[in-house]
Amino acid sequence: MSGSVSGLRAIVIAHRLLVRQLVTRGRIAALLVVGIVVSLVVALVSRAVGEDESTEEALEVGIEVMSNLGFTIVVPIVALVFASAAFGDLKEDGTLVYLWLRPMDRWPIVVGAWLATVSVSLPVTLVPLTVAALIADVGSELVWATVLACVVGNLAYSAVFMLLGLLTKNSVVWGIGYILIWEGLVAGISGVGEKLAIRGYTRSIIADQTGVDLYLGDLSLMTAIVVPVLVILAAFVLSTLRLRSLDVA
Amino acid sequence: MSGSESSPVPQPVIPPPPPPPPSESSARPIVEVENVTKSFGDVVAVSDVSFTVGPGVTALLGPNGAGKSTLFRMLCGLTAPSRGAVRVLGEKAREHREVRGRIGLAPQQDALLDRFTAYEFVELAGRTHGVADPSGRARQSLAYVDLDPEDPKRVGAYSKGMRQRVKLAAALVNDPDLLILDEPLTGLDPVQRNRMISLFHDLGDGGKCLLVSSHVLDEVARIGSNVLVVAQGRLVASGDYRRLRELMDDRPHRIRVQSDDARKLASALIGRGVADGAAVRENTLLIDTLNVDRFGRSIAPISSELGIRLREVVPTDDDLESVFRYLVERR
Repeated sequence: MSGSVSGLRAIVIAHRLLVRQLVTRGRIAALLVVGIVVSLVVALVSRAVGEDESTEEALEVGIEVMSNLGFTIVVPIVALVFASAAFGDLKEDGTLVYLWLRPMDRWPIVVGAWLATVSVSLPVTLVPLTVAALIADVGSELVWATVLACVVGNLAYSAVFMLLGLLTKNSVVWGIGYILIWEGLVAGISGVGEKLAIRGYTRSIIADQTGVDLYLGDLSLMTAIVVPVLVILAAFVLSTLRLRSLDVA
Repeated sequence: MSGSESSPVPQPVIPPPPPPPPSESSARPIVEVENVTKSFGDVVAVSDVSFTVGPGVTALLGPNGAGKSTLFRMLCGLTAPSRGAVRVLGEKAREHREVRGRIGLAPQQDALLDRFTAYEFVELAGRTHGVADPSGRARQSLAYVDLDPEDPKRVGAYSKGMRQRVKLAAALVNDPDLLILDEPLTGLDPVQRNRMISLFHDLGDGGKCLLVSSHVLDEVARIGSNVLVVAQGRLVASGDYRRLRELMDDRPHRIRVQSDDARKLASALIGRGVADGAAVRENTLLIDTLNVDRFGRSIAPISSELGIRLREVVPTDDDLESVFRYLVERR
């Protein structure tokens, strides 16, 4: 009666199941509010500066505010909330067994979980931040830079925080520690720290697309895209190994 | 829980029943557990356990914390043994995905996907098992456990008994060769219990291997004649339930008696051979007896004859813990 489940089928099943588990009214509402508030701040500050200063200065201020609020807070925090919950919630409430004890390989479950995280968290960040870039009205460069950096940042953060949800019990705490301490402090004072901070890659994309110099934003566009892709692949491999060796309650 | 990793293999206190005549289906045991030990840090949850199980219903009996769920988790591959080997259908479930597809598990914990309806949950279980017609199988499995596939209520709003039945339906959806049910009767009313026990027997008679755990002695008597008794992480007995019951009935019983003259009552009970031992603490008398029926018949007439007023007569060891303790001590 029972058979094996193909990789593609398992991805679809894991994705559908986890999207349903991740989307709660409370989560979406709270994170949308954060995104909208930050976006309004970015838009209002940029417009205010634009009225008094030149277009170039308004662009610089808009980019600086977008980088510091949008890509330091909104993108990583939203990804953390959903990605850490993808496996974290199932582990916590004992329902992981309903995915684990099945004739399915582990890698499609990981890919499905990551896709579920991205399906939910990307719209929650991309829409408000893009709208903010449009309202700021400081040039199309900022809009395209925001879209590209948001996509790359969300995909990479989601993969890393999904792995964190499999590795630790308090993944949200560890994730906030990574965002505040590693990306906020260590990346600024250490070369290695900078290379291990996703924030450096999103800022580099913005700097490259807008031509504005940004702190931690000195990598080429190619590097800023390829390295996060490698990070995602590494997170997939580690998550698969972890899921395989996990003790399931 | 304590346990020595270097302890010898426990010898069952009840000899196993004679093996059934060989047949194609029973040529190889479905479950093989060989010298399995599982430790969590310094805590030994399962210690050097060995047994094999074939088709039919086998009850795993043991008090809470005895290691039943850990054993079940190892059988399913959800956790790896620290030592020894666990095989289902000749393979390790942790490593072989096809074997995982031939197991149905109803876990003990009350964990379900609470935002799903019963039908959605069981149908999802079917899809994750790769069954050919998940929708049809889901309806069939829900019907087995007397649940309505059309019920629009989410399982989060279900009673404990209904949630148990949803877990059972999900465990049945892939028509597994091995069905592992961890305390499946908890929360069910008597009618549902009877219905479920009858379902277990039907499945067992149909050639499935069912391992059903319980900490309730009388429940086990009805679940299966073949029992495995686990206490303190060890297999302390295995075999036919009736022989286990006889063994437990033969054990010494301890009874607490409150009266207005404990010493006088103690000498009379021992003098007339009703008690095999007695300890007196103020007005409380602790009696040890091998013949609890005779004690029950005699205590009131003897007290009356001596003019002693009885306040309380309570068996202190008429629970599973004491039965297991007795079995462990006998080993």
